Amino acid sequence: MTQERFIDLVRAEQEPLRRFLLGLCCGDDALADDIAQDALVRAYVASGNFLGLSKFSTWLFRIAYNCYIDHCRKPGREHAALESREALAVQASDASDSRFRYQQLYQALEKIPEKEKVAIVLFYFEDKSIKEISAILDMPAGTVKYHLSSGRGHLKQYIQL
Amino acid sequence: MSELEQYLKDHKPVVKDDPTFLLEAQRRMEQVAGIKGEVDRQHRHGRRALVIALCAGLVLGVAVSAIAFFYPVNPESMGKGILDSLRLFLQDYREYFLLPTALIAIALALILLRNKKGSAWGAL
Repeated sequence: MTQERFIDLVRAEQEPLRRFLLGLCCGDDALADDIAQDALVRAYVASGNFLGLSKFSTWLFRIAYNCYIDHCRKPGREHAALESREALAVQASDASDSRFRYQQLYQALEKIPEKEKVAIVLFYFEDKSIKEISAILDMPAGTVKYHLSSGRGHLKQYIQL
Repeated sequence: MSELEQYLKDHKPVVKDDPTFLLEAQRRMEQVAGIKGEVDRQHRHGRRALVIALCAGLVLGVAVSAIAFFYPVNPESMGKGILDSLRLFLQDYREYFLLPTALIAIALALILLRNKKGSAWGAL
């Protein structure tokens, strides 16, 4: 796949991809964009492997999710995440900041297990079907449904409606 | 739809409009163009090796079958029932079928694995 063709395909997917990672990174847009860039580079290098057997977006989201997991496993990530959360909290104290609207949601997402978080983000924010989520996360549809249900249960404890 | 589900739908994260995002991605892609060339080259070599292995397995299999059919070690086995003939045939020639069968099996397994990777890349 040429770089031009790849960029064309990515152009349509960049917003959903960045939103997906923004949800996973609980509102840290600098980190989300950094992981998105990393995912795009990895996808570009591997684009010769893409056979078109699945949707391009499914393939790209899966790579992005793997990049996110790699980031989570990096040593020292907890400290950086804490600093980032503190910075977000300071910014969120300004009521005019649109981030404030999402503060409760992001704080709740941070508290739930990763698998539940990614299932929630893909299903509710990205409107992906269970089948697509199952392909992105490489897990059976039943397991995805379980994580969704369990994630909703956990979120109810942290979100005041 | 429950209240929570409605809340989640109403609170989809909004990404900042960033025109430099794709430009930065493009810049990074140009930096790894050499690596991509090497990955593509290895991918092509691997695919060619698989096709050669599959073809070699098929050709050898056909050749062994033809030799076994025209020059049977045990001519008496040819006159028996189909199942008995097949059993005796495999018994007499099993070592000759080993290589083509192994080649075809390995090639098919690798092709299936690569297809799985291509459909939803798990290696990254």
